[in-house]
Amino acid sequence: MLNIKDLHVSVGDKEIVKGLNLEIKAGETHAIMGLNGAGKSTLAAAIAGRDDYEVTSGSIEFGGKDMLALEPHERVGEGLFLGFQYPVEIPGVSNLNFLRTALNSVRKYRGEAEMSAAEFMKLVREKAKALNMDPEMLKRFVNVGFSGGEKKRNEMVQMAVLDPKLAILDETDSGLDIDALKTVAEGINTQRRKDTAILLITHYQRLLSYVQPDVVHVMIDGRIVKSGGKELALELEEKGYADVA
Amino acid sequence: MQDELTTGYSAQAAALKGTVPGADDLRAQAMTDFGTHGFPHARAEDWRYSDLKALRANVYAPAEAPEAMPTIPASMGDTAARFVFVNGRYQEDLSDLGDLWQAASIRPLANHFTSNAARLDELVRGEDGVSLLNTALLRDGMVISVPAGVEVDDPVEIVHVMTEAAGRAAHLRHVIELGEGAKLSVFERFIGDDSAYWQNIILQARIAEGANLGHIRLQEEGASALHTAKVYANVDAVGEYRCANMTAGGKMARFEAHVRLLGEEAHATVDGVALTATGQVHDTLTHVNHVVPFATSDQIFRTVADARGKTSFAGKVTVAKDAQKTAADQSFKALVFDRTAEANAKPELEIFADDVKCSHGATVGELDAKAIFYLTSRGIDPVTARRMLVEAFTAGALERVAFDEIRDAMMDRIGTWMATRADRAIPEVREA
Ligand SMILES: Nc1ncnc2c1ncn2[C@@H]1O[C@H](COP(=O)(O)OP(=O)(O)OP(=O)(O)O)[C@@H](O)[C@H]1O
Ligand SMILES: [Mg+2]
Repeated sequence: MLNIKDLHVSVGDKEIVKGLNLEIKAGETHAIMGLNGAGKSTLAAAIAGRDDYEVTSGSIEFGGKDMLALEPHERVGEGLFLGFQYPVEIPGVSNLNFLRTALNSVRKYRGEAEMSAAEFMKLVREKAKALNMDPEMLKRFVNVGFSGGEKKRNEMVQMAVLDPKLAILDETDSGLDIDALKTVAEGINTQRRKDTAILLITHYQRLLSYVQPDVVHVMIDGRIVKSGGKELALELEEKGYADVA
Repeated sequence: MQDELTTGYSAQAAALKGTVPGADDLRAQAMTDFGTHGFPHARAEDWRYSDLKALRANVYAPAEAPEAMPTIPASMGDTAARFVFVNGRYQEDLSDLGDLWQAASIRPLANHFTSNAARLDELVRGEDGVSLLNTALLRDGMVISVPAGVEVDDPVEIVHVMTEAAGRAAHLRHVIELGEGAKLSVFERFIGDDSAYWQNIILQARIAEGANLGHIRLQEEGASALHTAKVYANVDAVGEYRCANMTAGGKMARFEAHVRLLGEEAHATVDGVALTATGQVHDTLTHVNHVVPFATSDQIFRTVADARGKTSFAGKVTVAKDAQKTAADQSFKALVFDRTAEANAKPELEIFADDVKCSHGATVGELDAKAIFYLTSRGIDPVTARRMLVEAFTAGALERVAFDEIRDAMMDRIGTWMATRADRAIPEVREA
């Protein structure tokens, strides 16, 4: 489903991702762990197409398509979703308007009809409820005044509404209390299907005990230096990066 | 050139003698003053951002009836009455008095002074060449007097159209008088063709104790137009003046609002949005004068300027020595699409009282690239993303427009304006 080959990404003059290879197949869940500043979020942003993150060489293929030839919104149309480590606040735009415009944009990209307001409301309420989000928060401006955990939960509601083929979740678990972590993990597990894939970026074994990954990668200084099964995460937590990688 | 201007406009004023009975002396005096003052100098502090080159270089002839009457746009929602002015003249055939004549007294400016010469004293005479000329060339306009206690719910729409008027000008004067506890909303629209005309208009309002005037303006003049507009509102105790202005049209447009809060607990809101496209100049100046204690005012302005657009906001609040317990807020935010767009802000507080709550804030910024990426990362195309952000940015300045149809139409204008900028979806600097 996702195939990244020898990817190099620079921000300004600085190379941050330095020759990264990654393949994720449909039905799989992968996790990337790594030290602060290793380039995990940069990798995620490059896959999503943020324009100040320059891909200097290498390739990103998703669903057989060259992602680098597509604009960010087109990548979403193809089924990509990025859960932000730091979700952005957008004053003046309500969550509902945001979600509805997003969903209908994706449907339009796929040649599907717009969803009616009633159908949409039903869908959003259902997804918000599953993620324990107060429906009142849907009326508020996107992420404005949301707590750290509420912002992460809002990311999950967006994912659930857009129903992506591949969800890249950048530290969705950080800042969550234990109950919220469980709710979010359930949300992620619901999204795991034969035809979907998940890429979790995380620092903590805890999320991985709820959402068990098929493959765990260790990223250091812009490269994946080691990959293994879910036991690798435990090993990292015990011994630290220096001994494992 | 000043001599030619004085000679040219004096001839126009002389030709208008007798058209507004009772106002001839006033007209003559304004003409004399115009000869002394001329148009404001390019370096005059309050006029620095208005481009008056065309005014200084040409004598604008009086606009005449066009060969073909233009089509008048439909009303936005229910109206109490509708007055149409084409090329500065009232068009009875195109207007609709609705039910307003039953509730209020309506008359053309020309009849305003005949029965009551004292009204001359209330007429704003002007303090600079632009407004002095409006007085000197006085001829047409609508006078609406709402008696005490009468509330008119639907807005009175005044549509101003300019067409086939290259090198010509209209100098209109509307007078609104609200008796104690009266209520009225006036919705002024300005449209025009591409001819290089000058629309020069003054609206003056007297708002008696407890009365309430809503004033909405939608300025969509033609692309070559010069638009100069002034509003003077005097508000008595517990009275309210609520203004919301949208500036979108014209090559050069200037809007001034002068509000005097003359009675305790008088309240004014003066809001506005300016959409300034490439090559346009939009200048807004407000002056809210707190004369007595316990009056409040609140201003919200949002401007958006595309490449090489120039927009300016000067907001002055004066609080007199006796005007204790004044509360005055002012918020100005400008959005520029790139470094060639210009946004100027000049908040000015003149406070002579010591027990007041006054605040002002002014910011100039570009669209937040992080927010655009966030929206596009959810599948929203960049053109729509930018439109959503601009709508969100401007919406706060239109929230107090009390009529949904008008507010929605204004928001639609913002969406359409952004859509016409689709090619500029990604910020970039283009060479002139
Ligand atoms: N926009 C930027 N401008 C400058 N430097 C950047 C930018 N984005 C990322 N970097 C730098 O790139 C490096 C990798 O950052 P990145 O956010 O990808 O790390 P990370 O692995 O996600 O770290 P963390 O675990 O702390 O989230 C860091 O040194 C960071 O400072
Ligand atoms: Mg990160």
